[in-house]
Amino acid sequence: MSDINNDSAIMAALGRQMTQAVAKQAVAAGNLANLDTPNYRTREATFDDVLNGEMQKVKMTITDQHQIASSAQSTPKTAEVDGLESRRDGNNVQLDRELLTMTKAAADFAAAQQALSAKFRLIRFAINEGR
Amino acid sequence: MSTLNNAINASASALNAERTRIEVAVSNIANADSTRGPDGKPYRRRDVVLAADHAFDAALGQAGVSGVKVAAVVEDQTPFKRRYDPSHPDADKDGFVAMPNVDTPEEMVNMMTASRAYQANLTAIGLIRELVNKSLELGK
Repeated sequence: MSDINNDSAIMAALGRQMTQAVAKQAVAAGNLANLDTPNYRTREATFDDVLNGEMQKVKMTITDQHQIASSAQSTPKTAEVDGLESRRDGNNVQLDRELLTMTKAAADFAAAQQALSAKFRLIRFAINEGR
Repeated sequence: MSTLNNAINASASALNAERTRIEVAVSNIANADSTRGPDGKPYRRRDVVLAADHAFDAALGQAGVSGVKVAAVVEDQTPFKRRYDPSHPDADKDGFVAMPNVDTPEEMVNMMTASRAYQANLTAIGLIRELVNKSLELGK
């Protein structure tokens, strides 16, 4: 399977990772904005369904190397988070949890960005004939 | 990018709402002893009602980034405090003055939570800006 050498597949995957980090960041920002809104419930961007769906596809069409690259413009969904303690006003946003989510997402984004710019560097290297 | 814009807009709406809370708390404290308002009655404590603003949802499609908005600034209808002070110009015939229903410690707590929330949202904006800067570095 030559997927590992398939630049566009890797770039698409890195792009997705960045998109997901952004979605997580945005949802956490929304939670933080509603830190004091009565009855607001913490939301979370979820990608599990998408990931599982992709795993299925990979299993089914393992010989088709274009499958990963072409599929999955993964659309994040949001869901309410279970198991968080509510305050008296019915709000269950936890400041530290949201800031942690945001920091994590920023780190994920930075990692993907590093990898992606390394990819771009390689391509530029090739374009410039090794100079 | 547009998603990051939504995130920043959500945080900015929170900064706005928290600022309103601080303003209202300050006005409550400032008027803790105002026995005469425009209607001739003592000052009534005001409260900010916050509501999630789902207007941001449409732009992001599925993911629910909701900002926050000030739904209303309402007057607290709890009865006025009565203080015995016969020399006060607004004292009734029994010598009692109706004082505003402002509880200063409560206002201080409101102000502190608002200011903490403000700080948290500023931090959030900083983190989002980090992402934007990172993505701008991609072309380098």
